[in-house]
Amino acid sequence: MLIEQAPYELTVAKKAPLLLAQLNSLTAHHREFCSEYESVVTAQWPNYAVANQLAAVPYLAVSLFKHLSLKSIPDSEVFKTLYSSGTTGNPSKIALDRETAGLQSKTLVKIMQHWLGKERRPMLIIDKPSILDARNSFSARAAGIKGLSFMGRNHCYALNEDMSVNIDAVQQFCSEFAAKPVLVFGFTFMVWQYFVEQLKQSKQRISLPNAILLHSGGWKKLEDRAVDNATFKQAVLEHTDIPKVHNFYGLVEQVGSIFVECEQGHLHCSSYSDVLVRDAETWHPLPLGKEGILQLMSVLPKSYPGHSLLTEDRAVILGEDDCLCGRKGKYFNIKGRLPKVDMRGCSDTFTPTVRERS
Amino acid sequence: MSWTTFNPPSVKAKLFSSFSEQDIAYCDALSALILKEPQIREFPDLVALGFWLRKSNLYNLLKPYQYASFNRQPLGMLYHSAPANVDSLFVYSGILSLLCGNKNVIRLSSRRGTSSNILIEKICQLADDFPEQNARFQLIQCDYDNSELIALINSVEGRVLWGSDEAIIAQRAIPMPAHAREMCFGNKFSLCLLDAKTIMAEPEAKFGQFVQFFYKDQMTFSQQGCSSAKAIVWLGSKEQIGDAKKRFWPALIELVRLKQPFSDSEHYQALLAAQQIAANAGNAFELIQERGITRLGVSSISPFCTNAHKGSGLFLELSLASFEQLNPMLKPANQTLSVWGVEPKLLHEWLTTVQTGVDRVVPVGEALTFSINWDGVDLIDQFSRKVNLHKSFSLE
Repeated sequence: MLIEQAPYELTVAKKAPLLLAQLNSLTAHHREFCSEYESVVTAQWPNYAVANQLAAVPYLAVSLFKHLSLKSIPDSEVFKTLYSSGTTGNPSKIALDRETAGLQSKTLVKIMQHWLGKERRPMLIIDKPSILDARNSFSARAAGIKGLSFMGRNHCYALNEDMSVNIDAVQQFCSEFAAKPVLVFGFTFMVWQYFVEQLKQSKQRISLPNAILLHSGGWKKLEDRAVDNATFKQAVLEHTDIPKVHNFYGLVEQVGSIFVECEQGHLHCSSYSDVLVRDAETWHPLPLGKEGILQLMSVLPKSYPGHSLLTEDRAVILGEDDCLCGRKGKYFNIKGRLPKVDMRGCSDTFTPTVRERS
Repeated sequence: MSWTTFNPPSVKAKLFSSFSEQDIAYCDALSALILKEPQIREFPDLVALGFWLRKSNLYNLLKPYQYASFNRQPLGMLYHSAPANVDSLFVYSGILSLLCGNKNVIRLSSRRGTSSNILIEKICQLADDFPEQNARFQLIQCDYDNSELIALINSVEGRVLWGSDEAIIAQRAIPMPAHAREMCFGNKFSLCLLDAKTIMAEPEAKFGQFVQFFYKDQMTFSQQGCSSAKAIVWLGSKEQIGDAKKRFWPALIELVRLKQPFSDSEHYQALLAAQQIAANAGNAFELIQERGITRLGVSSISPFCTNAHKGSGLFLELSLASFEQLNPMLKPANQTLSVWGVEPKLLHEWLTTVQTGVDRVVPVGEALTFSINWDGVDLIDQFSRKVNLHKSFSLE
């Protein structure tokens, strides 16, 4: 089983047959237990029996989870339901049973331990403490913080409720832990807007020279401000002395098998996941170096048919097993999200709110 | 957002009699301005509108309404709510209402596109030469809950609501006077009926023209126009339909490959909708994506299909041995049936059996052509009052 393997040591010759076998068994499992999934496979892949290569594994458009409740377990076995951030439209709804939830945590720990070491690190969270309150508990931000929190100890929240930097708390954390390996975590945009930028504006700086900053959540808002990865890292170093900055990419539809950015600036597949890039016009798989729509595969999803998903993100696969960082597996870059479809029809989807006259 | 008027009036608006020469001259002048616009080639909807507004075309359209046994009088003040993004649509109903002699206020969407903006510019240019018409054709922008707008709606003689079903229902919450009329143009799901045997028999040149017509109907507004077909109803035996598909789809796909009407986002959206419908329907088949065209075989058209379908190059395919089988699936939202290769006699006979759905039957290539009868409503009659003079007062 791939889940027993170390995250970045398998070369394609060893990984491919194991991965294909596990994905095939997941496809068969979901066809048996999720009738909607079976209907899609029958329609789009008629006479499908088994995939003889990765590209032949059926895939679902990830947004399907926003419109349909797809699961391969009875309601009575739903242990936890995950929701995507859903800033636009319906959120995705992912049903987990104990087994899948357990696999997700176990995998996340395996991947994170590779980057952080086995020992729990003092953890600075770039967010406000109330983010974990019940009313926020379904947000992706809360889920991410909860997920990463158990990689740390002595948790300290860097922001006040009004999103200003709680400089006293941060300085206290630094004076206590700066000499030790520290974990700093936050959402990319939060780290930039409410931490780095605020330190810069108030001409303050902190020093965490032994820290690793992990951040996630998309570049869209930063691209609008013309901030790229290099600028981001440089500014972080300048204002916090944090030398190691790693972005990671993952979907709520495939929690656990995340893709972490290496020292070369590339996102890496782990032993538990893989990627393909497809042409959006023909949906044929594209060769290395060609930009297309990113398909994600994960061996974790058992309670819902999410083991092979076509994302709405554009990406380029840069190589396999030969990244200069030394890790095995495919590595890739994200090139942004597909823009929203411009509705050109007679009937727009806009719903006006008509208030009662007072 | 406060109330903005794009073309402020210079005189107080007053009602006109129906089909006045001055109103027709205004339309003709607008037509000339639109057709002279250098950018016009990029906007096929504006070209069509430009020709539609010509004096000769309007005379032709209005001819059947000119000689009647009653007097036609204007309705009064009408409020029009234009949809986002089908830019030129608001002009058709607005102009017909103007020609009926009415005063009109047209609320434009803040999400309107370039061709709307070109139209606004042209209409403003005509304000000095046609102060009366300009005052009766007011283009505005404001929030739905703007107090001036609500006061206007509270006092109109009629309103015309274009938009999604949700938008229409929400706007209906604002009351109108008891005597006011309402015309609504909401979500539609149009169909294309193709006779498999005819498609196979068409000579090459005619077949090529048919494919071009089909492309124009469906792709001009990215398949989101209300009269663009989202489902194809194939008529024939299993073998005939199979052969016709093999002739039709590669030809259409070749055209799509050359013209690239859809973005990657739309390709994705089409796949998403197809998978959604396949997951829900349970017995869908042949989900095929090739070069921007997505096809899904279905055995019926359910309300779920209608809701999930967002255009973008997705065609549901239904195979029928006779078109009576379509009747139980038809809903009021099934507006246009564009047809190729079906004998007129059969169409006539069939239509007498259709009690629900289908407001217009047109040949493939004519789906987007605006007609006075829209969604089963005669707009000229709706925008005017027919005053009846008892036959004892006859002058003859």
